[in-house]
This record gives sequence, C-alpha cells and structure tokens, in this order.
Amino acid sequence: MKPDFYVLTWNDVLVSLFFIAFSIFLIKKWKLGLEKTLLIGTLRTFVQLTLMGYVLTWFFDQQHWAFMLSLLIAMIFIASWEGTRRQKNNIPHFFAAMLISLLGAAILILGTILLFILDVEPWYSPYAAIPIGGMIIGNGLNSTSLTANRFMGELKHREGEIETLLALGATPKLAVYDAMKASIHAALIPNINGMMTVGLVQLPGVMTGQILAGIDPLIAVRYQIMIMYMWFTTATLANMIMLAIVYRQFFTNKMQLRRELLRNEA
Amino acid sequence: MPSDPIFQFSNVSLKIDAVSILKGLNFEVHKGEFLSVLGASGAGKSSLLRMFNALSSPTEGSIKFRGMNIEDDMEVLRKNVGILFQNPAVFSGSVKDNLLLAGRWDQNIAQTLDHELIRSLKQVGLNKIELQNKARDLSGGEQQRLALARTLLNHPQVLLLDEPTSNLDPKLSSSIMDLVNNLRENLSLTVVAVSHDHVLMRRYANRVIILSHGELIGEGSFESLDRDQVFEQAGLLDTEAADET
Repeated sequence: MKPDFYVLTWNDVLVSLFFIAFSIFLIKKWKLGLEKTLLIGTLRTFVQLTLMGYVLTWFFDQQHWAFMLSLLIAMIFIASWEGTRRQKNNIPHFFAAMLISLLGAAILILGTILLFILDVEPWYSPYAAIPIGGMIIGNGLNSTSLTANRFMGELKHREGEIETLLALGATPKLAVYDAMKASIHAALIPNINGMMTVGLVQLPGVMTGQILAGIDPLIAVRYQIMIMYMWFTTATLANMIMLAIVYRQFFTNKMQLRRELLRNEA
Repeated sequence: MPSDPIFQFSNVSLKIDAVSILKGLNFEVHKGEFLSVLGASGAGKSSLLRMFNALSSPTEGSIKFRGMNIEDDMEVLRKNVGILFQNPAVFSGSVKDNLLLAGRWDQNIAQTLDHELIRSLKQVGLNKIELQNKARDLSGGEQQRLALARTLLNHPQVLLLDEPTSNLDPKLSSSIMDLVNNLRENLSLTVVAVSHDHVLMRRYANRVIILSHGELIGEGSFESLDRDQVFEQAGLLDTEAADET
C-alpha cells in the first residue's frame, strides 16, 4: 500500500539525534577531537532550520512580490558575506564579485524556471521562488567559493607562467586563462560526475524528500532532472561571472601581475 | 659603440612596502650593446630588469623606450623586449606547444610552419630535439634554450636575461652565454643581462652598471671599474670568493 504522507513529528526529530550520539561515540573512539564542533553544528542546524521554517511559513503567507524579492536579495547578501568570510586569501572586491555573480545566476536561472518552465502564477509565488532560489544561491556559493580558492592556488603555482605569458605579449586575460580553466574544471567536474551517477548510486535529496512527502516518483524525477540541469548552469554561470571580475583584481592597468596579492593571506 | 639610446632611465626609484629597493637610477642603454647589470644578492638587479619590459613600474622617475614613455604601448613593448627568466617557465605539453605560446594571441606566430620552428630550435643549439618531445622532460639547460627560442620567435630588439646561468654548471653557462652573444651579433639584438658573476660577464659585456643596495655605484667598462675598485665595493669579489669555497 502506498502511504499518502510520512509526517515527521518533533519527537521523531528528537529520535534522529541518535545519529549524532552515534557519531560522537565514533569520533571519541578515534579521538578525532570534533565533538565540540559537531555539537555546535547540530545545534545550529536545528535552530537555523526551525527558524527558517517559521520565516518561510510567514513569508509564504505574504503574497507580494516585494517580500519575495527582498528575501531572495537578503539570501544573496548573506551568501556573498559567507563566501567572503570563508575565503582564506585576500582577493580585492571579493564580496562584490560574489554578489554580482550570485545575483546574475539567480536572475537568469530562477527567472527562466519561474517564467518558462514551471509557469508559476503569480511569478513571485514564494512556494516556488524561495526553495529554488535557495538552491541556486547555495549551489552558487559553494561552487564559487571552491573556484576562488582554487584560482588563488593556481595563480600562486603559475606565477612564473603568467609573467612569462605577459612578457611575451599576452593580455592579463590570456595570461590567466589556464588558471581560470583549471579552477572552473575543478569546480564543475563534481557536478558532471553527479549527473553521471544520479539515480544509479544515490537518490538526490529533493527527489527523496518529494517521494517521502507522497509525490508521484515520476513527477519527483522530472523536478530532479530540472534541478540537476539548473545546478550545473548555476555553477558554470556564477563561476564565470565571479572569475571575470576576480582575475582583473590581480593586474594593474599596465598589464602587470600584482604579485604582492599572491603573498598576502587574509 | 652605437649612440642611439634605446632605453633611458631617469631618476628611477622603487619602493615596496616603504622599503627602498632602487634609489634614483639614471642611465641609458644603447642599441646593439651588451650591458651587464652586476650586484650582490639583494642589490635590486632583478627588480631593475623587470622594469625593462614593464613587468613592474618605478614608484618614482621615468623610463623611456625608443624615446617614448615605456608604458605608452605595452603591446609593442612586450613584443620588442623579450625576457629570459632565471627559472624559465616551461609549460606542460610538447616543445612545439611551448614555442607557439604567443600564437594564442599573435596570428603570425600561430601560423609558423614546423620547419621554421625546427630552425628556431637549431638557432639555439637544440639540434636533436623533436617538436613532439615533452617540454618538461628536457634538461635544465635545454629548457633554458627552449625558452630562449620561444622569446626569439617574437623577433625582439632587446633580450633581457635574469641570472640566466645561475642554475647551470660553468660549461653550460659559457655555452648559453656564447649562444646569446652570437645571437646578439647575428640578429642585431641589444642584450641586458643581470648577474652576480662578473667573471663570466666580463667575457661578453661591452658595458656594465653596478648596483649596491639599490644604488648605482659604477657605470662604464670593466677596465675603468677595475681601476676604481667598484667590484670590491659592491661585494662582488666576496661573492666570487664565497663561490670558490
């Protein structure tokens, strides 16, 4: 018999704390020293998601485009701030680069989904815009953070190559092309691998959630397909916008590599 | 000695993080000459060399290339002023890929035919190297020559050398410097070579400038500077003694 809905109560959530207790047991056994971090993470997961649940419930009741847009913009600001905070290197104007890249990806990809794929009526319905927007922003944040770190590593590693290319007459963009390519490759390959194995090795979270919530698996699958395509494009677009802004910070207007930035740690 | 100045340095200073690297340098480089910039470690030689093709800019003073501000046309400057670094960047891929690096933006180089590339390898003494060989499999000396061939494909007027032989044994050092000197004569190049090795340089350079703690303390022929004991003042004789021990 197919159940209509698996309702999770707060008691059930409490029981799921068993997983954390078991992890702590394992961590202690191996003396990994991660207990405190894990406990903070556990608490933050609980508090943040619960608060988000209440915030979303409230927002979903407000059928107004301004509410939806302000929440999305706030999410982009927070993601950009978090991305800048996570950045171990000193990249000038990185916050702005994150903001523009996430905003660009969100406008283009979320807009396409809301207007042309899901045909959401009205387009600002928060039931679609907020969760999908969240996925786009979150995925964009993770991908651009990885790419920026990798790009810095590539710049440091390839300093001699970059100056050789500049000395031979390359523009800054051409001089860092290999570094940008390697960074974007490193960020996109996990996405492509995910597309290769999805459904074979693991069932993705969104699809699992929908099936658990009683949605027809064939509908859940269609959502998941759209989400996989969306993730890849988000990562590609956000990374390209971010790198197009970031690489310029490492050169003077006289086509000189700002080597001092490669020595500075934030 | 040809009299046309190809570079004119006027009151050039460089400060990095409030530390003075170069202090008020005034000198000229003439077409076709082999100028050696000598100084002990930390004298500011490499920082000075980087300014010749504007990989860095002075914080004070001005540099002219062929009578124009050096930064007026970076494209022309970088094409005409080639540099051979102490540790040449050899890219992954084949010898041919390395030779054609500038072909990514310069159609003339992109269209260079294989037999012309082989000729450029022979020009730098790489007679037995195939275009398909992996560049990073070459020895240190061969990589240095490959980097030189790559720079020469741009048909530069000026060749800058940053301690070109510091990682090579004395025999290889001499053969690279012989090669550079022959190329200078055959291609009418102007050569500016930075080194701490005044013994090697006096076999090739027409003129020398000597840096000590960022200041120009001597300029002229080796003979005149020997008379004034400038090499000793710059700590270059100590380096030689230290090298020999």
